[in-house]
Amino acid sequence: MVTYIVRRLVTAVLILLAASFLVYLLTAASGDPLQQYRQSSLPNKEQLIQQRIQLLNLNTPAPLRYFDWLGGAAGCLIPFAAECDLGKSIQGIEVTTLLARAMGQTIQLVTAATILAIIIGIALGIITALRQYSGLDYGVTFMAFLFFSLPIFWVAVLLKEYGAIGFNNFLNQPNIGLSAMGIIGLVAGFICYLVPKSGVKRKLIAAAIGFVAAVALCWYLDISGWFLTPGFGAIGVALMGVAAAYLVTVLTAGLRNRKALYSALITVGLGMIAYFAIQPLLDLATILMIIILGVGAVLVGVAVGYLMGGFDRRQSMNAAGLTAFLMGFVILLDRYMQEWPEYFNNSRIGGRPIATIGSSTPNLEGNFWIAGLDIFTHLLLPTIALMLISLASYSRYSRASMLEIMNQDYIRTARAKGLTERTVVMRHAFRNALIPLATLVAFDIGALIGGAIITEAVFAFSGMGQLFVDALNAVDPNPVMGVFLITGILAMTFNLVADLIYSVLDPRVRVKA
Amino acid sequence: MRFGRTSKAVGTAAIAALALSACASTEGGGGGDSTEGGSQASGGNTSVTVAEVNQFTSFNSNSATGNVDINGTIEYLTQWDFNYLTNDLELKRREEFGTYKKLSEDPLKIKYTINEGVVWSDGTPIDAGDLMLAWAVQSGHFDDAKTNDAGDVVSGTNYFSYAGSTSGLGLTDVPEIGDDGRSITMTYSKPYADWEIAFGVGLPAHVVAKGAGLKNEQALTDLLLSAPEGDPENPKKRPKLKKVANFWNTGFDTTTFPSNKGLTLSSGPYMVESMVPDRSMTLVRNPEYDWGPEPKIDEIVIRYIPESPSQVQALQNGEVDIIAPQASGDIKASLEQLSGFKMLTGQMLSFDHIDLKYGGVFKDVDVRKAFMNTIPRNQIVQSTIAQVIPDAKPRDSHVFDMGTPGYKASVKVNGSENWQEVDIQKAKELLNGRTPKVKIMYNADNPNRVDAYTLIAESAEKAGFNVVDGGLPGNKWGAALTAGGWDATIFGWISDGVGVTGVPQLYGCGSASNFTGFCDEKAQQAMDELIVTTDPQKQQELKITVDKRLFETGYGLPLFQSPGIIAYNDKLKGIEFMGNQTGVWWNFWEWEVAK
Repeated sequence: MVTYIVRRLVTAVLILLAASFLVYLLTAASGDPLQQYRQSSLPNKEQLIQQRIQLLNLNTPAPLRYFDWLGGAAGCLIPFAAECDLGKSIQGIEVTTLLARAMGQTIQLVTAATILAIIIGIALGIITALRQYSGLDYGVTFMAFLFFSLPIFWVAVLLKEYGAIGFNNFLNQPNIGLSAMGIIGLVAGFICYLVPKSGVKRKLIAAAIGFVAAVALCWYLDISGWFLTPGFGAIGVALMGVAAAYLVTVLTAGLRNRKALYSALITVGLGMIAYFAIQPLLDLATILMIIILGVGAVLVGVAVGYLMGGFDRRQSMNAAGLTAFLMGFVILLDRYMQEWPEYFNNSRIGGRPIATIGSSTPNLEGNFWIAGLDIFTHLLLPTIALMLISLASYSRYSRASMLEIMNQDYIRTARAKGLTERTVVMRHAFRNALIPLATLVAFDIGALIGGAIITEAVFAFSGMGQLFVDALNAVDPNPVMGVFLITGILAMTFNLVADLIYSVLDPRVRVKA
Repeated sequence: MRFGRTSKAVGTAAIAALALSACASTEGGGGGDSTEGGSQASGGNTSVTVAEVNQFTSFNSNSATGNVDINGTIEYLTQWDFNYLTNDLELKRREEFGTYKKLSEDPLKIKYTINEGVVWSDGTPIDAGDLMLAWAVQSGHFDDAKTNDAGDVVSGTNYFSYAGSTSGLGLTDVPEIGDDGRSITMTYSKPYADWEIAFGVGLPAHVVAKGAGLKNEQALTDLLLSAPEGDPENPKKRPKLKKVANFWNTGFDTTTFPSNKGLTLSSGPYMVESMVPDRSMTLVRNPEYDWGPEPKIDEIVIRYIPESPSQVQALQNGEVDIIAPQASGDIKASLEQLSGFKMLTGQMLSFDHIDLKYGGVFKDVDVRKAFMNTIPRNQIVQSTIAQVIPDAKPRDSHVFDMGTPGYKASVKVNGSENWQEVDIQKAKELLNGRTPKVKIMYNADNPNRVDAYTLIAESAEKAGFNVVDGGLPGNKWGAALTAGGWDATIFGWISDGVGVTGVPQLYGCGSASNFTGFCDEKAQQAMDELIVTTDPQKQQELKITVDKRLFETGYGLPLFQSPGIIAYNDKLKGIEFMGNQTGVWWNFWEWEVAK
């Protein structure tokens, strides 16, 4: 195993060296670094050209300049040497500074989208696999491919037009018209129609329920002025908590495991007490406090499950712990919503909260919650855009993988020995279906830092992609090489990690040195 | 697992400490990542947000690395100067800040004086020391470097990497400092046409002195006064001056709000208050400022938005108040649909033109003129910039920018009226049956140039020219300008809108930007006289002579000045179009938020 890893690392270094040489030459040959001065009519044009030539050392041939760069970059590989010199950009800024900043922006931009795409994509894939060739399956497949094939710049512009500008206009006069309510109801009805497994009658009933519920919800939101003063209220939190308790129990233990259900419900009760007790404390919130509270909540949930005891303690602990986490999340959301009016009416926001550009409102002052809402309103649209497009691959992969697993002999065996369908799906099929996805996820995380060039440009995020494009346009090799180095190293590392994870997850695969 | 009593106590204490530190103090905090605590825009303060394409990188926009438009914009807001350019391209003096006076014509002697009570935003007076430093930088007086043919320095040093031209102040000797300590007097060794824009105040000398490890501003002034002029034949090492120059060259480069507040010092109406790298920059009123018009806006925020369509949507969504997107028909159409916003269009100071090589197939002036007769200028304007400016006209002068007083005067006499319309018949007569092969070089990645080429080629072939497409990709055509291999080329010049030294740079015999080989005795004489003429009226006459000769010898034809768009929220007043690089900012002190 160790020999294998070492061998892989050595090859990785060699590949990086060769590739970086190539990228350097390509960048140097990609354009004319003096372009901006060519059509200049300034009296000191020649002097400016000389300055630029000296700055970029253009009189030295590109292959030799590469070794100059390599000499500095080699310092980065020696840990703690503190002599990492990736050079400077044309504007005289250290590339290491540029990279650190760009990476921060990119991670901020793509993290939420990637996590959501993974969770939702896998869920959709599993569900559609269980309902193969149903209306739901076709519907989801159709939508996934539709989004997958949309150009992201177009999606982004549309999202800005309707999701930001249109929605902000709506917020100034938040009244849902009757026709809008009808359309929302019909869409909800249609989605619910697809959900039941079979039987036209059941499907129609589901559609009717969906329609009525959606219209009622819209009506309530409209009447109560919810868009301007949103919030769940204690009742809403309790209802959502109970729903979460049931859902989690169904997935982890099954409703027949009463102890698990009761521990989850007890956790919801404790959560409701905490909901009231904790509000004054939340006024002083910091990110650290939220993390501590989150961990505390999960621990309490697990403790409840443990104390309930019973035949399979683990199941109760899982159910209660997960429920506690979700409950905490709902309370957190509720708290953010409580701050919404203040954020909305802040003079810097001016009643137009959903943003089309950047990652924060300049000079916005406010507490933890206001800052959080600001990030939310800025990240909402790019996250949706990125997520819609990457949903497809995850849902397709997980569907295929799940279908394959469900046809395996051991699934038939599991059914034959009388296990419930829930146990078969959740314990035997689902986990194994995730194994091939591990590779995909590892790759995606590696690619994530590389930046989303188009999305960054449209939403004015100055992340890795933007850094790369700008530097390439200016024929400025140092930042290009910096971006390449980071993305290259990450791609190689995660490639290796993916292989190793695979062998850990699947005992049939062995790493051979 | 068992824990000892001590470790339990330590553990509890650690957890308690962690829990306590997790609480924010009641005075907000936590949020906001501006480097400096900002003042709130609430409470009647007016704030304007402007979109800019590039990110700010340096407080010194005159250094080799800091020479970017956005840095120049911040300098325009924070560094007052002796004069500024209006959108009528007229030079206006800032008499409340400082004055300058021509003491004598020959030798040309100029006295610059900063008014009493004018200070940097830290309270330090702006005085002769600051002017001395600016002179040292802008004159290149101390440089003693020798360069080889490849441009590498072989001996000596270039001290300040000044991005502007040293050709003006390079003619002056060390200035004399006035008795009041606020003025300096420069003497030119020969008259210099652009003396009025040759000198600017620049950066605070006391900050540069400190940054270079000198005791104070006086020490810097003494250093500059005592150092001998640089002599490339006999270079000397001057470590102290080198240190000063190094700090000036790179010390002001920063993308975060600097810990050294000296870098941000302002002598203008606004000062930089906070910077968030890659995102935004905030300027507030300079409390010391009272020498000039008082701005009506309390706070200016600059946000960086590279893409033009994103700028339009950000404007529509109220995230920015002023945008200057790349002008195109699409952008204009999308702006026209909005309500609650205003749009200004106008012509920028860059212009496209077609130049013919003096030599090769175009050696015969008849062939040149025949070709010029086939250039469909109106049609080119219609298919390119008319989408933005419907009533746009072709530019009729090589030398003068449209809208300037000289332009009107020149157009009357420069002979441009001969080329208003395409005249295939006349071209055929001039060609007299010849079918010359003409290779036209242009940037094939620029749609306007491709359009112009297509129209010209089509029209020229009607007259019997055999046109060869010499279009090159965006990264190649610039080098081909100097390298040659073409008979005609379509490209653009960018003009500053002020000054005359750019004229010989483009049309002088053998000068660096003269790609066509144009060399005309009369024109050259006029230009030689032009650069030593300080009288504006005389300057204009000489420029007209050059313009006329360009048309007479068949230099080629100017096509059009590029269009520009500015759009803003209609709660703002006082925004006016400006065609040069200062753009919309040129009159920022007149901006106002309507009540």
